[in-house]
Amino acid sequence: MRSLLLAVLAAYLIAAIHSILAFVNKRRSLQRVAEWSMIAGFVLHTCALIADWVIDGHYPLFFLRETLSFLAWALVALYSLVLYRYRAQALGAFTMPLISVLTFIALIIGSDSTNAPAAFSATWLFPIHTTLLIFAYAAFFIVFIASVMYLLQERELKLKTFGATFHRLPSLTTVNELATTAGGVGLTLLTLGIVTGMIWSSVRSGRVWHNDPKEIFALLTWLLYFVLTLYRSTASWRGRRAAWLGVVGFALVLCTFFGARLLPGYHVFG
Amino acid sequence: MSILLIGVNHKTAPVEIRERLAFTDEACANGLRHLVDGDVVREGLIVSTCNRVEILSATASDQVEFGVRRLTQFLDMSGHLPTGFLDKHLYRHTDEEAVRHLFRVASSLDSMVVGEPQVLGQVRRAYSLAVEAGTAGRVLNRLVHHTFRVAKRVRNETGIAANAVSISYMAVELGKKIFDSLKGCTVMLIGAGEMAELSARHLVNAGVSRVFIANRTEESARKMADEFGGTTIPFDQMDQFLAETDMVICSTGAPTYVLTEEQTRKALERRRNRPTCLIDISVPRNIDPKVGHVPNVFLFDIDDLESVISSNIREREREAERAELIVQSEVMQFQQTLRLMDVGPTIGALREKFQDIARTEMARQRKRLGNLTKDQEAAIESLLMSTVNKISHPIMNQMRRFYETSEPDATQAPPDPFGLEE
Repeated sequence: MRSLLLAVLAAYLIAAIHSILAFVNKRRSLQRVAEWSMIAGFVLHTCALIADWVIDGHYPLFFLRETLSFLAWALVALYSLVLYRYRAQALGAFTMPLISVLTFIALIIGSDSTNAPAAFSATWLFPIHTTLLIFAYAAFFIVFIASVMYLLQERELKLKTFGATFHRLPSLTTVNELATTAGGVGLTLLTLGIVTGMIWSSVRSGRVWHNDPKEIFALLTWLLYFVLTLYRSTASWRGRRAAWLGVVGFALVLCTFFGARLLPGYHVFG
Repeated sequence: MSILLIGVNHKTAPVEIRERLAFTDEACANGLRHLVDGDVVREGLIVSTCNRVEILSATASDQVEFGVRRLTQFLDMSGHLPTGFLDKHLYRHTDEEAVRHLFRVASSLDSMVVGEPQVLGQVRRAYSLAVEAGTAGRVLNRLVHHTFRVAKRVRNETGIAANAVSISYMAVELGKKIFDSLKGCTVMLIGAGEMAELSARHLVNAGVSRVFIANRTEESARKMADEFGGTTIPFDQMDQFLAETDMVICSTGAPTYVLTEEQTRKALERRRNRPTCLIDISVPRNIDPKVGHVPNVFLFDIDDLESVISSNIREREREAERAELIVQSEVMQFQQTLRLMDVGPTIGALREKFQDIARTEMARQRKRLGNLTKDQEAAIESLLMSTVNKISHPIMNQMRRFYETSEPDATQAPPDPFGLEE
């Protein structure tokens, strides 16, 4: 399994390097290499996840290693959709390195010898809960990157100092639309993820809410993105303010994802 | 055969000299017929634009010096200038240098504004005139077609023509930066000056769907509206239309601000904060600079545009360095083509004949191979061709030597075992 993941990492690294080079040099040929390499990595990664599932006997989204690997996979999937829909290649220069890092960490953590508690793999609700949330995190990352791109360009346009990034980033309208769509998708996934989690918990222990840090952060995150989406759709907050919210919101997402690990609570896993 | 190129351009000669040398299409055809004598100057072509007058020719290899003198005389004569007058303005290139120069000219690396697209069309025009006059032969045909290929490569593989370097085009570039595509956008022209007209033309070409024109004198507004299929709006009622407008180009001669912060804020509220791009190319400025502080409004005055343009020019120059590398490698490639051509068309014909034989045999046996992937097809093709080329190589070498050691003439024909002469 490790060798397969190693191949995945190699493909992602090639994609990351070529994405950055394509971003700097604006060469179509480099971008093509990046995209094909990413596709190859994605296919291998899918195989690796399936193999994990078959060999370990549980849905490959439980331990930290699996979570990081799954998150990287989800990010590639979403980034591919963005590429297909918006042709926003510049995103790759930011996303692919992160994907490579996630894969790398997953690789050095190595395989876990212990098996997941039966309780988690017995019901299909739990894997759905985690999968939805992982995709929600990935969508919020896209919102974050798009928002940063928006802010960078808005600043350059306002100050009329067109730096190196100016000719390389997608237009304001594109990144604004991307942030809106990704935000909407992320919010939907987060809602469904929270709801499935509650159902699973009530089925298991009869309790819907445990007051643990991860749940509280998740709720705050949900509120923030709900407000963001609401404001965007009523159009009173457009552009800069919405973009700032997209950046700040991501800090909250990180707290939900990592911060809650450091605090004791009901959610013991990643 | 040697390739010669002499001429003047905007760097070596002032306009007073360039205009005296410039050729009209007709003068060009006549001049070419006069210049190309079939003896010293075998082939010829004249590129004449407002920034350059250049004569390109193919000359017998042993008569280069004489050829250069002939071309210089020709220029002196056609410009009615005393002999020697042009000496300090002329550049004279032969062979490799001449080829490089032509490649650079056509790729717009030698232009006043690097990357401007017109020059390639001008070279194309010059070539078709030479073809009409019958003065483009074997060598120039090859050279010019190679030149077009180089220009295309440079355009596709570098960004020398990527960023706007004129104020009028800047509007399109900024619009695209903000709205992604200008399709479906609405533009308002305040003032119907020449610059506004030029910008509007670029914007309409880029897909802008509606144009409002507000001008104090309605007559000139109407004239412009007819041209772009726009709508004239009364100058004092432009506020009403501002909410629907994505881009404003302002160029009136008014001494005061015609667009204030207050107006813009209201308009933006009505257009639900959708971004707006305002370009003020008038001096004194016609849009209150404070408008630029309104969120989602992007205001550019003439100085802003100028500074972007100068940064774009620097960017183009950086890209030009990459273009020079492409030109360099293409020059080497063409030199090789030229060397082969000198040996005579026979070698080319011979190689083709061999390749034909291989292809015919391949076609005969193709069915037996069954279905092949594209890669396999390509592998077979390259296998056949490389075998043919390797076998024919010594024969061609021998022919080459034959050509090099003796002047080919009627009494001493090269060996022709394959009946190529038929």
